[in-house]
Amino acid sequence: MYTLSNNMKKSLEVRSRAKSIPLNVEAKMMRIRAIEVAERAGRAHIGPALSVIDIVHVLYRDIMNRELLCLRDKRRDRFILSKGHGCLGLYVVLEKFGLLGNERLEDYCKYDSGLGGHPESKTLDSVEFSTGSLGHGLPVAVGMAYALKLNHSDSKVIVLLGDGESAEGSNWEAALHASKHKLKNLWVIIDFNNMQASGVLEDVLPLEPIEEKWQAFGFDTKSINGHSEAEIKDIFKTMTSDKPKCIIANTIKGKGIPIAEDSSEWHHKAKISETEISAIKKSLESK
Amino acid sequence: MRKAALDRVYELARQDKRVIFVGSDLGHGTLKSMREELPGQFVMEGIAEQYLVGFAAGLAKEGYIPFVNTIANFFTRRAFEQIAMDAALHALPIRFLATGGGMVYAPLGPTHTAIDDLALMWCVPGMKVYCPSDANEMIEVIDISVKALEGPSYIRFGKGDEPELNFSNPSSMVKKIGNPRAKILFLTTGILIHEVIKLVDQLPAKGGDCIGAIHFLQIDNIEFRTFREEFSSASIVYVIEEHIPYGGLFSRILHVIQKTGEPIWKLRHRSLAHNYPHNYGSQRDHLKSCGLDYESLLSEIGEEVV
Repeated sequence: MYTLSNNMKKSLEVRSRAKSIPLNVEAKMMRIRAIEVAERAGRAHIGPALSVIDIVHVLYRDIMNRELLCLRDKRRDRFILSKGHGCLGLYVVLEKFGLLGNERLEDYCKYDSGLGGHPESKTLDSVEFSTGSLGHGLPVAVGMAYALKLNHSDSKVIVLLGDGESAEGSNWEAALHASKHKLKNLWVIIDFNNMQASGVLEDVLPLEPIEEKWQAFGFDTKSINGHSEAEIKDIFKTMTSDKPKCIIANTIKGKGIPIAEDSSEWHHKAKISETEISAIKKSLESK
Repeated sequence: MRKAALDRVYELARQDKRVIFVGSDLGHGTLKSMREELPGQFVMEGIAEQYLVGFAAGLAKEGYIPFVNTIANFFTRRAFEQIAMDAALHALPIRFLATGGGMVYAPLGPTHTAIDDLALMWCVPGMKVYCPSDANEMIEVIDISVKALEGPSYIRFGKGDEPELNFSNPSSMVKKIGNPRAKILFLTTGILIHEVIKLVDQLPAKGGDCIGAIHFLQIDNIEFRTFREEFSSASIVYVIEEHIPYGGLFSRILHVIQKTGEPIWKLRHRSLAHNYPHNYGSQRDHLKSCGLDYESLLSEIGEEVV
């Protein structure tokens, strides 16, 4: 009989908390904004955007120095959203902190907009590296972290990966090398929503025991609730080892919208009906 | 040619801290002195080409100039998406040093012969594609690539024992030998220029006057004005390349000429076959089997010269 490791038991417990944790007003407002934008554009990766939005929010609010980000100062922390399809969550956060430059979120995915369905550094200064094709963010982040280490910089390189994206072999190539180079300035966050476009991980490609895997690759690892602002904020203070870090952020795909939660149908939603929009807004406003 | 390139990278790295060499399990002796003298600027990674290109992109994004070296195919085929999306989409100054261009690794079989690399690299927007013919040109290209930083470059290495050549215009990307008004013109890139030179050496003086040749050191930006005089004077123009028939030099020349109204019927094309070779032997064996060695070319043009 298959037995659960302690880490897996802990992970299940954290997932359960991720599911039940209530959202604060800020988190709800950001979700309402994301839905408004998706409604206007007629399509978006809503599920992934809402599973990463709290992580990205805390990164920009509490972890990275926004003044340095605004100035593109070389001392800034670097953030790469490797799962680029979650970019609506990123755009909402960038808008909140005035980091969209001249771009308007209302123009999301329009022909002349700088805000596409995957983030581009060419069209938006606050995007560190263009992503979309999966498995690219971590190798690039390792290169950046190596360069910053050579420069004796204190800046962090934070890269957010999807759990489905973890199937790309390039991630594991990069993980091996990050460990070899002892890149303590590298922070990998796995958005572990346990679901990809075709269904749950167990059916498509099981990843557990995910924490042990990253540990085996030489990373310091911790599992947190990816919708708990306090846990996200604290983890950057408590992980102080000389190894590269990997945070397993247990999240809920579509978190905050009951009809979208844990639904692969809402991974990429092309047609959102008026009834659905009305139900979503009602649920976010009433909780 | 490879040694000349790596030595030059080492020399540049001593002068410029931005220059970093990145290899993929290239062997114990590779740049041993650089490894000891400049450990931060020498990175020997595992066999992981997709990672390698992404890693180089991260370095370049932070202001470094990475020279990445592995076998040509392992860049162009395995890491194609990283080359396109990480390097070219971001216009980063990554220099891909591609060991074993063409049929250099013929004895190792089809997994190791780079017969389609020029096509793959040429189609990447912003990619500069160089095919040096000797060590001097290799150094020239390495130097250029540090001065002109915009975008990635693909540099195809020859076997390494090529004699040094004396072109009439050594500082140009379009190098010329022989009679500029020759009846028979050869257009080529990389090491095949040596075959044309051997061919001329086999002809009597008068016959040699019938031959002109142009070697394109950089093939991604060929312009007709750079060889208009030679092309217009020639009766027959051979395009010879150590590459499959499509997507390489001939495709580029056709693309350039079709816009000029010049007669395309003058062109003759000799290349590798459009298949993965299942013979081994040497590079020369394969050039001969495809009619690209000087003896085959001599026999083909014999009647024209007479």
